[in-house]
Amino acid sequence: MKRMCLVCQNIDCKSRGSEQLMGELEKRVAAKGLDDVEVKPYMCFGACQEGPNIVLYPEKSWYANVKVEDLDEIADHIAGGPHVKRLDTIDPSLKELIYQLLDTGIV
Amino acid sequence: MEGILFPHGVPESREELNDYRNRGGYEALARAIRLPADDVLNQVSDAGLRGRGGAGFPTGKKWALTREAPEQPRYLIMNGGEDEPGSKKDRVLMENVPHLVIEGVILSAYALGAEKAYLYINAEYETALKSISDALAEAKSEGYWGENILGSNFSIDIEIVPAPHNYVAGEDTAVIEVIEGKKAWPRQKPPFPVTVGLYGKPTSVNNVETLANVAPIVLHGAEWYRKFGTADSPGTMLFALDEDVNRPGVYELPFGTPLRYLIEECGGGLKNGKNIKAVMPASPSCAFLPPEKIDTPLDHNSMREAGAGIGCGVIRLVAEGECIVEEVLRIAEFFAAESCGQCPACRMETSTLAMMMKKVQQGQGGQPILEQFGKILAFNKGKGFCNLINMPGPPIESAIKLFPGDFEAHLTTGKCPATNE
Repeated sequence: MKRMCLVCQNIDCKSRGSEQLMGELEKRVAAKGLDDVEVKPYMCFGACQEGPNIVLYPEKSWYANVKVEDLDEIADHIAGGPHVKRLDTIDPSLKELIYQLLDTGIV
Repeated sequence: MEGILFPHGVPESREELNDYRNRGGYEALARAIRLPADDVLNQVSDAGLRGRGGAGFPTGKKWALTREAPEQPRYLIMNGGEDEPGSKKDRVLMENVPHLVIEGVILSAYALGAEKAYLYINAEYETALKSISDALAEAKSEGYWGENILGSNFSIDIEIVPAPHNYVAGEDTAVIEVIEGKKAWPRQKPPFPVTVGLYGKPTSVNNVETLANVAPIVLHGAEWYRKFGTADSPGTMLFALDEDVNRPGVYELPFGTPLRYLIEECGGGLKNGKNIKAVMPASPSCAFLPPEKIDTPLDHNSMREAGAGIGCGVIRLVAEGECIVEEVLRIAEFFAAESCGQCPACRMETSTLAMMMKKVQQGQGGQPILEQFGKILAFNKGKGFCNLINMPGPPIESAIKLFPGDFEAHLTTGKCPATNE
């Protein structure tokens, strides 16, 4: 199974630039030659007020309020670097809900 | 069976003004306008009239709250948005008995002390719009509305507002937004329209059928009205059966009539003699009932005790051999499409549920995905401005509980047990 970077593309995240974020993240992932990683749109993680949201799966890392300037660090994390702790602000119960849903294989 | 709205059955053509007057039309108005407005309000309260738009709220109470609000002026809105799939009762009333509807509007405005009434009518209902528009002109020329109605001190202006045709546009506060010239987006509540409604003023939003009951109540009295129906749900209600039955249509029945009577005696049962697999008596947003509950009386209390509701009287039948997964997928996709999108939780919930149900239909996700439905619903419960966020839950959860076999078949074989595809 490919590793996934799910980038929310619902109204709030989009209004804060998640389309551009997805494109930029794709470039960085490609630049690092991470062939086993797929950057994909996702419809809504339910954390609209903290968007744009990016979830790495199956690692289960959730980055909120992501800006373009955060992407290099996120790409580093995907490539095996450290977790970007300051962007990890989502409530654990919501994380659990979404991770369980992703575990059913819906994406 | 004698009815209240349709004493001789649902008329096949439009009732003209003279025919309406020959059966007592506008007599209630002529009498009531000489009496204090409280008399009308009290009669409607004593009759126990409850809203027919879905919630079943006591109409007299809604009016009293509107009148008690300190602000002036007050407004009355007739809600004829009627966007629930399968619903056609309000259209039938507006098309065929427009004067019954209009007399109800004028009486209700009088009871409320409203200076203006808006008739919010589904823009796709061309015949209903014309029927009501023509009837308004006739009624005005007879002095039934306008300045100093029938020589009294009471004046009322009435205006028709075409309603956008989408589900949320029928929600009370979305109706108010549309009349104010804005998008059909529900408002956060409280405050409720009875205190802060149209242009910030006290407003009573009442369904067409609710208002159509007012003239008969005022004409014949609360005691007469209570001869129909049950103590909890007095009067009659219009129920709609779709093309799945032998005799589809709108039927007026006293509250408390067994669901079986509606389906079998009125509708003639399912086509091709099929058996019923499930019934959704407040389609599309209540729980499915199994066939064992087909004798449940059609009234608010009984339906609630049975685990369902009565809604606005749209009865959806699922036949044996049909797949419940396909049915709830349609429902989940309907709510995802109709969510107006302003509340993040509703967007997330409705789109996630539709996506999950699509996966189930395609045979993906296994048993664990079924366990996620309740969690997604619980997480989002009550988090929207309007009730839409709470609507997909009952059909989905009841379907999973009542028909585990259909879900299992999809999840294990990837095929629908009904079509084998």
